[in-house]
Amino acid sequence: MLEINNLKCRIGDTEILRGLSLTVNAGEVHAIMGPNGSGKSTLALVIAGHEDYVVTGGDVTYNGKNLLDLDPEERAREGIFLGFQYPVEIPGVSNASLLKAAVNAKRKHQGLGEVDAFEFLKLAREKMAALNMDPKFLNRGVNEGFSGGEKKRNEILQMAMLEPSLAILDETDSGLDIDALKVVAKGINALRAPDRAIVLVTHYQRLLDYVEPDFVHVLSEGRIVRSGDKTLALELEDKGYDWVREAASA
Amino acid sequence: MKRPSLSMAGLRDAVRSMPDDSLTAIREAALANLDEHGLPTVRDEDWKYTDLSPAIDISNRWFAAGATSTSTDSLAASIEALTSSIDANWLVIANGIIDTSHYEETAGVDIGRFSDNAAPFVLDRPLADLNAALLHDGLRIRIHAATDKPIGILVVDETCEAAVVTQVSIEIEIAPGCDAQIIEYHSSTGNNDHYSNSVVALQISKAATANYVRIQNRRIGHVQTGRISITMDTDSKLAMASFDLGGGLIRNDVDIDLSHPGADANFNGLYLAGDGQHIDNHTRVDHRVGPATSSQEYRGILNGRSRCVWNGKAIVHAGADGSDAKQANHNLLLSDKAEIDAKPELEIYADEVKCSHGTTIGQLDDAALFYLRSRGLDRQQATHILTRAFAADLVSRTPIPQALETITALVDARLAELIQDGMS
Ligand SMILES: Nc1ncnc2c1ncn2[C@@H]1O[C@H](COP(=O)(O)OP(=O)(O)OP(=O)(O)O)[C@@H](O)[C@H]1O
Ligand SMILES: [Mg+2]
Repeated sequence: MLEINNLKCRIGDTEILRGLSLTVNAGEVHAIMGPNGSGKSTLALVIAGHEDYVVTGGDVTYNGKNLLDLDPEERAREGIFLGFQYPVEIPGVSNASLLKAAVNAKRKHQGLGEVDAFEFLKLAREKMAALNMDPKFLNRGVNEGFSGGEKKRNEILQMAMLEPSLAILDETDSGLDIDALKVVAKGINALRAPDRAIVLVTHYQRLLDYVEPDFVHVLSEGRIVRSGDKTLALELEDKGYDWVREAASA
Repeated sequence: MKRPSLSMAGLRDAVRSMPDDSLTAIREAALANLDEHGLPTVRDEDWKYTDLSPAIDISNRWFAAGATSTSTDSLAASIEALTSSIDANWLVIANGIIDTSHYEETAGVDIGRFSDNAAPFVLDRPLADLNAALLHDGLRIRIHAATDKPIGILVVDETCEAAVVTQVSIEIEIAPGCDAQIIEYHSSTGNNDHYSNSVVALQISKAATANYVRIQNRRIGHVQTGRISITMDTDSKLAMASFDLGGGLIRNDVDIDLSHPGADANFNGLYLAGDGQHIDNHTRVDHRVGPATSSQEYRGILNGRSRCVWNGKAIVHAGADGSDAKQANHNLLLSDKAEIDAKPELEIYADEVKCSHGTTIGQLDDAALFYLRSRGLDRQQATHILTRAFAADLVSRTPIPQALETITALVDARLAELIQDGMS
């Protein structure tokens, strides 16, 4: 589904990704771990199409298409979803209107008509109930004044409404209380399907207890320096990143 | 390029071709005044950013062509469409001529004309002189009881000749204790050049409230200058919202005189400008006694090669202790060719006053734009949503509920157009 080959990118004069390769197939769950500043969010943003990052080498193929040729909105409509590490507050734009516009943009791309207002509301309420979200959040400005955990839950709500083929969740577990973590994990698991893939960026084993990954990767200094199965995460928890870095440079 | 000056000979001919009636003496007095003082130029501090040349050029061409204006059936159709867009009791001024046929007599409201009682009025501003010199007749409205429907004043022009000039003058008095709702709606059609000049005097009596909405949605390219002078008596209230959506060269002056304690003036404005538009809002509040409050917030969204001006002057005169003057002006520039001159001017000669001002000039938030695009909205849609949110804050403060839906739709449509033009 997603094939990243020797990807290099920079922002300003700083090179951040330095030859990163990763293959994600349909049906798989990947976890990406790594020290602060290693380039995890950068990778997520480059896949989503953030224009501040300049790709200087390598290629990214998504469902056979050159992903780097597509605008961010085209990538979204093709089924890529990024759950932001720091979701943006957009005062004055209601959550409901964003969700509706997003759902309709995707439907239009698929050649479908606009979603019926009643159906939309019903679906949104259902998804919110599953995430223990008060329906009042629909009428609030997007992330406006939301607590850290509420913002993350809101990202999962958007994901649930958009049903992406490839979801990249950047530290969606950070800042969640224990109950919220379970709820969010349930939301992520609900999306698991043979034709979908999920990439979790996380610092903690906690989330991986609930959403079991097929692969775990360690990103360090702009490269994937180690990959393994879910036991790698446990090992990391135990030994820290220095262990991987040493192994990588050895 | 040499700036044209108003042809006084042309103006004189135009004035003298008007019917000899009870306003003739006033027209002559205004003509003489204008002859002496002339129209403002960019050398005048208040007109530094706004060059009236297009208005003068249109006027001169109109004079030269005989100073006539005609209309077609489409004017009637415009009136029909516009008056049915907001549920109000409409007085119409079409091509400068008062038309009360759409108005339903209402208890508590007296409608008259300047010609009924042609008392000479104060002429001390050049554009008011130009207005008085060429005025067919003015509208006098006295509201002494609250009405179910807002009183609407539709100023609509259709240009059939190559260049047309129209004058509008309105005096509104709100009786003591009365709560009034007034909508002033300017619109124009026709491919030719047009210049409209309006003068409104609003008098809010003791403990009265004026809810006032002003919509300017002229054809892009048409010229308008308009002044509203507001006097407020003890404990009176003003809640005003202005929307400038169309037009080419637009200059608005809002003058508020606070000479009585307890007055509370709240006035806000939204201006949307695209390629070729020039929208200038000059406001002035004179705090002559305290306590009294004034607060204004203007917001602008500019795209393409457009230019806007916001100049907010608040003068707290000596002795006006307890005055509270707030000003805010926020601008969103969607294009690097757009230009805004934002100038708060506070002059304070009293002690014990509270004054504040804040102006911002910014671009769309890139992070928000990317966030929306990452959800599948294209740049145009994302821009529309973000600008709409920026405007919505002011739109929602429209003090007349009956006008809200139409204003929301007009703002939305104009934003869509602006953004579309900026993208191509
Ligand atoms: N706009 C920018 N300008 C300069 N440097 C940047 C910019 N954005 C990111 N960087 C740098 O790129 C590096 C990678 O950042 P990134 O956000 O991808 O790290 P991360 O792995 O997600 O870290 P964390 O675990 O803390 O979220 C960091 O050193 C960061 O400072
Ligand atoms: Mg990060």
